[in-house]
Amino acid sequence: MNMNRLLSNLIQEIPRRLLLGLAMVCLLSDQLLAAEREISGKIVSTEDKNPLPGVTIIVKGNNSIGTATDTEGKFKLTVPDEATLILSYIGYISQEVVVGSQSELTIEMAPDQKQLSEVVVIGYGTQKKGDVTSSVASIKREDFIKGTVRDAAQLVQGKVAGLRITTPSGSPSSNTQINLRGINSINGNSDPLVLIDGIPGGLNTVAPEDIESVDVLKDGSAAAIYGTRATGGVILITTRKNRGTSRATVEYSNYVNIQTIARRPELFTGDDYRRKISEGIDYTDYGGNTDWLGEIMQKPVSHNHNLTFFGGNSTTNFTGSVNYRNWEGIFLRSGQNRFTGRADLNHAMFDNKLKTNIQIINRITSTNGAVSPADNDIAYGYIYRQAMIRNPTDRVRTETGAWQERDGYFYENPVSLINESNYDAKFKEMRMSGSLDYAPIEDLNFKLLVSNVQNSNLEGGSTTFNHTATRLSNQNGTAYRGTYANNENLLELTGNYAKSFGKHRFTLLGGYSWQDATYESFSASNWDFPTDAYDWNNLGAGGALQKGQAGMGSTKNKWQLAGFFGRLTYSLDEKYLFMASVRREGSSRFGINNQWGTFPAASVGWRISKERFMEGLTDVSEIKLRAGVGVTGTIANSPYLSQISYNFSRDQGAFIGGKWVPGFVPARNFNPDLRWEKKEEVNAGVDFGFVKNRISGSIDVYSRKVKDLLYDFPVPVPPYLTGSMFINAGTMKNEGLEVLLNLVPIQTANLQWNSGFTYSTNRNKLVSLSNDQFQASNDFFDAGYTGEPIQISTHRVKVGEPIGRFFVWKSVGVDEKGGWLVENKDGEVIPVAEAKPEDRQYYGNGIPKHNVGWNNSVRFKSFDLALNMRGAFGYDVLNFQSMFYNNPKNKAYNMLNTAYDPIDGKVLNNDLVYVSHYIENGNYWKIDNVTLGYTLPQNLIKGMKNARVFVSGLNLATITGYTGVDPEGMTMTGFFPGSDQRDKYPTTRTFTAGLSVTF
Amino acid sequence: MKNRNAKYILLTSVLSAATLYSCTDLKEQVYSEVLASSYQPTEKDLPAIVAPVYSSLRSLMAGWQGYFDLQEEAADAIITPSRPNGWDDAGTYKRMHYHTWTSLQDQPANTWFSSFSSITTANRVISQIESGEIPITTGKENTIAELKAVRALAYYLLMDNHGNVPIVTDFKDISLPKQSTRKEVYDFIIKELNDAIPSLSENAATTYGQLNRWGAKALLAKIYLNAEVYTGTPQWAQAITQADEVIKSGKYVLDANYSDIFTWTNFNSKEIIFAIPYDEIYGVGNIIHMKTLDPLSRTVYPMNAGPWGGNCAVPQFIDTYDADDSRLADTWIMGPQKNATTGAVVITYGKAVPTMEKTASSDGYRIGKYKIKPNVTGSMDNDFPFLRYADVLMIKAEALLRTGKAEEAAAIVTEVRKRSFKNNPAKATVTGADLAKGSKYNYGYQAVDGSIIERQGGEDVKFGRFFDELGWEFAAEAHRRQDMIRFGVFGTKKWFNHRPQAAQRALFPIPQSELDKNTNLKQNPGY
Repeated sequence: MNMNRLLSNLIQEIPRRLLLGLAMVCLLSDQLLAAEREISGKIVSTEDKNPLPGVTIIVKGNNSIGTATDTEGKFKLTVPDEATLILSYIGYISQEVVVGSQSELTIEMAPDQKQLSEVVVIGYGTQKKGDVTSSVASIKREDFIKGTVRDAAQLVQGKVAGLRITTPSGSPSSNTQINLRGINSINGNSDPLVLIDGIPGGLNTVAPEDIESVDVLKDGSAAAIYGTRATGGVILITTRKNRGTSRATVEYSNYVNIQTIARRPELFTGDDYRRKISEGIDYTDYGGNTDWLGEIMQKPVSHNHNLTFFGGNSTTNFTGSVNYRNWEGIFLRSGQNRFTGRADLNHAMFDNKLKTNIQIINRITSTNGAVSPADNDIAYGYIYRQAMIRNPTDRVRTETGAWQERDGYFYENPVSLINESNYDAKFKEMRMSGSLDYAPIEDLNFKLLVSNVQNSNLEGGSTTFNHTATRLSNQNGTAYRGTYANNENLLELTGNYAKSFGKHRFTLLGGYSWQDATYESFSASNWDFPTDAYDWNNLGAGGALQKGQAGMGSTKNKWQLAGFFGRLTYSLDEKYLFMASVRREGSSRFGINNQWGTFPAASVGWRISKERFMEGLTDVSEIKLRAGVGVTGTIANSPYLSQISYNFSRDQGAFIGGKWVPGFVPARNFNPDLRWEKKEEVNAGVDFGFVKNRISGSIDVYSRKVKDLLYDFPVPVPPYLTGSMFINAGTMKNEGLEVLLNLVPIQTANLQWNSGFTYSTNRNKLVSLSNDQFQASNDFFDAGYTGEPIQISTHRVKVGEPIGRFFVWKSVGVDEKGGWLVENKDGEVIPVAEAKPEDRQYYGNGIPKHNVGWNNSVRFKSFDLALNMRGAFGYDVLNFQSMFYNNPKNKAYNMLNTAYDPIDGKVLNNDLVYVSHYIENGNYWKIDNVTLGYTLPQNLIKGMKNARVFVSGLNLATITGYTGVDPEGMTMTGFFPGSDQRDKYPTTRTFTAGLSVTF
Repeated sequence: MKNRNAKYILLTSVLSAATLYSCTDLKEQVYSEVLASSYQPTEKDLPAIVAPVYSSLRSLMAGWQGYFDLQEEAADAIITPSRPNGWDDAGTYKRMHYHTWTSLQDQPANTWFSSFSSITTANRVISQIESGEIPITTGKENTIAELKAVRALAYYLLMDNHGNVPIVTDFKDISLPKQSTRKEVYDFIIKELNDAIPSLSENAATTYGQLNRWGAKALLAKIYLNAEVYTGTPQWAQAITQADEVIKSGKYVLDANYSDIFTWTNFNSKEIIFAIPYDEIYGVGNIIHMKTLDPLSRTVYPMNAGPWGGNCAVPQFIDTYDADDSRLADTWIMGPQKNATTGAVVITYGKAVPTMEKTASSDGYRIGKYKIKPNVTGSMDNDFPFLRYADVLMIKAEALLRTGKAEEAAAIVTEVRKRSFKNNPAKATVTGADLAKGSKYNYGYQAVDGSIIERQGGEDVKFGRFFDELGWEFAAEAHRRQDMIRFGVFGTKKWFNHRPQAAQRALFPIPQSELDKNTNLKQNPGY
C-alpha cells in the first residue's frame, strides 16, 4: 500500500514539474513564432473516461510548442497548420494526433499496461517489479478473464505459468481447482493461501468484479514469509480502491448467461432398445421412449449484477460495492445465489502520517435445489448415474401420475429423485477489519491490522413420502438440519523501515502475527413424518426420534497460529538486488515438542539491463537474472491429530453386564510427534523486456523438495490401533520449468493486440515413503477406487515414481468370446478372468506434463476482443463413463450407444472390469473464452462516462481425442488424478451477454 | 501536539491489542474428544472400555461380506448368484463359490480386519489395566482373563481362516509383527484359553454377550474338534472333556423349539452359550435379511427397509432334508410370500436356481432362520448364536463317533433331533450305524435345468450322515466351511457350479493390503 502511494505521488509530481518547465518554454516560443491558430481540447482516459490532468502536449517537429492539460484535462494551444500533436503521460501510451482542421479535440489515451504493472504485491507490502527477486506473477484488472467468471482464480486462468486452474465440475456452487507447481502435499492442505487485502479468505470471499489485482507468490523464496500456509503458493487478492480522484464514480455491470452440457453422452434410446430386441438381444421393453438425461436437465439462465461506488478525496475516501449473482445449473433444481457487499473506508491525517482503513465484507450465499452439493456434488452425480442407466423405454410416471419405479439394485427413477428431495443452505460471512498505519518519521511506519471473520451455515434437507427412501425403507419422509459456525481472528503488527543513501536502498520489515479460529457444528435428523408439509422445519414431528432412530451430532475445535517474521531487501544501484526473510511459526495442531518451525528464504537479482555495457542496446528494456531459495510448511488439516484422546462411541458399543454400553475407543493412532511438512525450494529465473517492453516475460526453473510428508498411512493392526495413522513420512520432489511471454505485436491509438503465452511443465517424484518409525513396510500404496461393481483401486503411488500413475491390468485385446485379454506379469497374454492382482502394472499418468495457455486481447477503436485458450498435454484420463457404460454385458442398465461397437472386431462380452483400455489420452486444447466487447460512444447518455457491452462464450470448444465429457472436468490433484468419475456434475459450455456502465 | 496524541493512541491500542492475545499460547483446546491426560477412567467406565473388543465382532459376523458370507458362500449350502438387479459385483460372489478368490477378495480381508481389531483393542486395554492407566481393583483378574479369552477367540477365527498369522500380545511394541505358523497360533490359543478359564465368570445369567467360562470351554472344545485340521494331530478326548464340563455345569439346555434360538428376542434363549448381540438401535449390523430377501419381500413382514435380494440356498443342499424335519421350514423361506396387508402373493421363492451367472429374482430359498420382526429395519434385533448348547453336544457326539463310540454319539444326536421331528417323533432317533453312513448330499455339478451332471454323490463321505446332521442343525450359522473341511468335502466335491480347486483353498489368502503394509508376512501357499 505504502509503496503504491509513494509511486502515485511520484506520478503526480513529475507532470507538475514538467508543466512548469514547459509553460516557460511556451511563453518564449510564443514570442518567437507566428501563431497560426488556436486549438483547445480535452484528454481523457480510454479506460474510465476520466480527464487526465498534466498530459504533456507538444507539436511534432517543433519541441518548443507545447502545453499540458489542466486539472480538468483541458488544454489550449496555438499550433501551426498541419500540426501533429505528440501526447505523453506517465502510465499511458504516448500517441500522435493529427490536428487537421479541428479546433476542438477530444482525445482518449490508453493506459500502458506495462507501466501500471510496475508495482507488485508481495507479502506484507509491495515491491517495484524491477526489484523483485523471486517468482511472483501479478495480474491486473485490465488483464483479467472477462465474462462469466466463477471466482477469483478464474480471473487469471491460463495467465500465470505454473498455476493450473481448472473447472472440475459444472455445478453452480462449485469452485475452480488450483494447483501450483505439482502435487506438494499428500494429506496436508495443498491449496494456496488466499489473502484478501492481507486477510486470509477464499477465492469466493469477494466478487470477481470487485478485484483490482491478483498476485501469485509462486516460489519458496517469495512465499516463505507466510511460513506454514504457503507451500501451495500464496494468492494475494487486492480489492478495488478509490484511486484518489476527487470525482465520485459509479459503475454498474451485469451479465446474463445460458449453459449447456459440455458434451452430452449418447445413450441408447427406446427405439434402439426395440431394435436390439428384434435382433434377439434380451432387453426389457416397457413401450416408451424417454430421454432420461433430458428429463433431469434444464436450460439454465443465470445473471450477475455488480454496483461499485468510489467517492471521497485524497485524505478521506470510500469504496463500496454490492454484487448479486444468481446461477442456475444444468441439472433441474440446482442453483445458487450470492450477495456480496463490501465497504472500504480510508482516512489519512497528520500529513499522511496516520492512515486508517476500515473494511467490511459481507457475503450471503444461498444454495437451493434438490440435494446437497457437498462432496463434489455426489448426490447430483448419483441422480446423473440413474439417468444414464435407466431403461429408455420406461416412463417417468405411471397412469395415475405416480413415479414409475422399478425394483433393482441401486436403480431409482432419477426424475423422482430430483423432484422428491429438497435442499436449502444459507452461508453467511461477515468480515471486519481495521488497520492503523503510523509513520512517526519519514521512512518508518508501523501498521496494526486486526480482523475478525465470522461465518455460519445453516442447511436443511428433506425427502418426501414419494421419495425412494420411503418406497424402499418406509421412511415416510426424512429431514435433517445442520449448522456450523467459524470465528477467525487475526492480529498483525508490522514495522517497515525504508532508507536510501547514495546507491544503496534497503527496506527492513519486522512483524508478529496471531491467528486463531474456532469451529463449531451441530446437526440433527429425523424421519417418519406425518406429512411432507414440514420439510426440515419441524424436526420433532418425525417419529424416528421416539424409536431411537433419529440422528444427532455436534463438534467443536479451535486452532491457533502464531508467527514472527522479518524481511530485508537491499538494492545497490538498482542493479544488484538481495532479499532475505524468515518466519518462525507455531501451530497448536502439532505436538508440544514440534509446534514451532522456522522458514527462511533468500534471493538475489541482477539487472543486467542496468549495467553500463548494456546502455547502447536500446531495444533491451529489461534483463534480470534472479535466484532464490525458501522453506515453507504445510499444516495438518484436521484438529487434534497430535492428541492422545478417546471417544465414547455408540457405534462401537456392546452388550456388557446385561445392557448396551458405548465403547470407549481411541480417537486415532496416537502420534504426539506430528510436525510440519517442510518444503525446500530453489528457484532461478530471468525476467526480460525488449523493444520498449513490447516483448516481455520471464522464465523460471524450480526444484522443490517436500520432506516429512503428512499422510494417513495404512499401517498394520496390530501393532497399531487402527488401520491408518497420520505420520510424517516420506519425501516428494517436484521440478519444473515455467515460461511467460507477453507480446504487444500491434500498439497504435486505434488498434492494440496483446498476446500472452504461458507454458509450464512439472516432473514429480515420490522420493521416499518412510521415516524412522515407519521403515520396513512396502514402498507403495494404492489410491482411488472404481466403485461398485468393479471394486478395485485405480492408482498406485510408489517410491521412485511420479504421483498419478494408474495401476491396472493392461488390456491387449478381446478374445473370440468377447472377454478381455490382458498381459500377465510375465508379459504373456491371458484372459482377464485369470488375471491375478500381481499382474497389474503401472500405466500412464493422470497429471499433465505440459500446460499451455495462450491469451489474446485485441482492441480496435471501440471494439475489444479477448480470446483465451489453454491446453494440457502428456497425461491420461480414466474414463469411468466408458468403463461402466461402454459395455453391453449387463442388459439391466442402459449404456452408451457405442457399447456394441466392436473392439478388435469383437463385441465385448465381459463383466465390467478395470483394464487399461479405459485409460485414454487426455491431451486437449480448449478455446475456452472468447469475449467480444463494444464500447459505446461517449455521452450517449448524459453523465455517462463509459459504457461497454459484450458477448462471451466459455468452454467453447475442446480439441481432444478423449471420448468422455470433458478431459478437464475432473479432479487434478490428490492421489488419483485423472479419474473422470461416473457420478459427477458434468461441466458446461456457457454463453454470456453483459454490459457495464460508468457514471 | 496532535502528532504526539496520535502516537499515544497508537501505542495504547497496539499494547492493548497485543495483550488481548496471549502472544504465543499454542495449547490446543480439545472440545469434542476425551483427552487421555485429563480423563481418569473409573470402574464404572469398565464396560465401555471392554466394549470395543466385542463390538468389532458384529461387523465381523453378519456385516457386509463378513464372516457369515465367508463361511457360507465358500461352502455347499448358500450361494449368491447374479440377479436381474445385479449381484455380480465384479464376480466376487462367484469367486467365493468357485473358490477362485485372490488376495484382493474382500470377505477374507474383512474377517482379518475385524479379528485384529478385537485383538488390538484387547492388547491395549490389557496393557492399560496392567500399567494402572485404567485403575481397577475389583474384578481386575476377571477382566484381563475375559479380554484374553476374546483375543483368543479372534485368533481362533484367524487361525481357522488364514492360518499363518502374526501373534501380537504386547501393545507397546510397535515393530512390525512377525508371522507365526498355524500350529504356533493353535498352541497360543489353547494356552491362552486354558490360562483364562479359571478367572472367567461362571455366571451364565449376567454375562450374556460376553465370553464366560462356559463360552471359553465350548470354544476350546470346538478348536480341539478341528485340531487335526490345524495341527495334524486330533484331540478328540480333549474335545469331549471340554464339552463335558459345559454339559455338567448345567447352565445351558436345548431350547424347546428350534426357532426360539434365532428369534429377535433370542437373548432369552437358554441354549445360547456365546452370542454376538445385535440391536436395531444400539448394536446395528445384522444384515442377513437384507442380503437374502428380494426387494419384493419388503411388504411381507412388512419391513421398514428395502432388502437387496441376493443369496439363497443351494438346491442340492435343500434336497438332503428329511420332509419331516421342521428345521427345513425353520431355516429357509420357501414358496409364496404374501403382502402383510392385502394378502396378495408378491413373490414365490422356488427351490430351483439355474446357474451362478443368471437367475430370476425369485430363484432359490432364502435364509429365514433369523426370524424377521415385523417392521424390521435394515438391521435386525436377532443375536447371532456363535456357540450354543447343541454345538457342545454335537462336538461331543462327533468326537465320540470318531473314537468308536457310535452309539453314545447317536444318543446325543437323537437328543438334538427330537425337537425338530415333533410331527414324526420316530424319525428323531438315529443309530450308531446310521451315523457311519455316507452323506445324502448329491454332490456333482448342477446343469442349468437342475440336473446333476458330473455326479460324485456323498456316499463316500466318512461319517457322512453325521456331516449331514451338522448341516441341518447348523445351516446358515457360519459353520459349514469348517465342517466341510473336517469331513474332507471342501476341496474334493462338486456342488452347484463349483468344481474342486487346489487343497490349499482350505485356507484363505492373507489380504493383499496386509502384505503391502507388513513385509514380514508371507502369503499362504497356493496364492
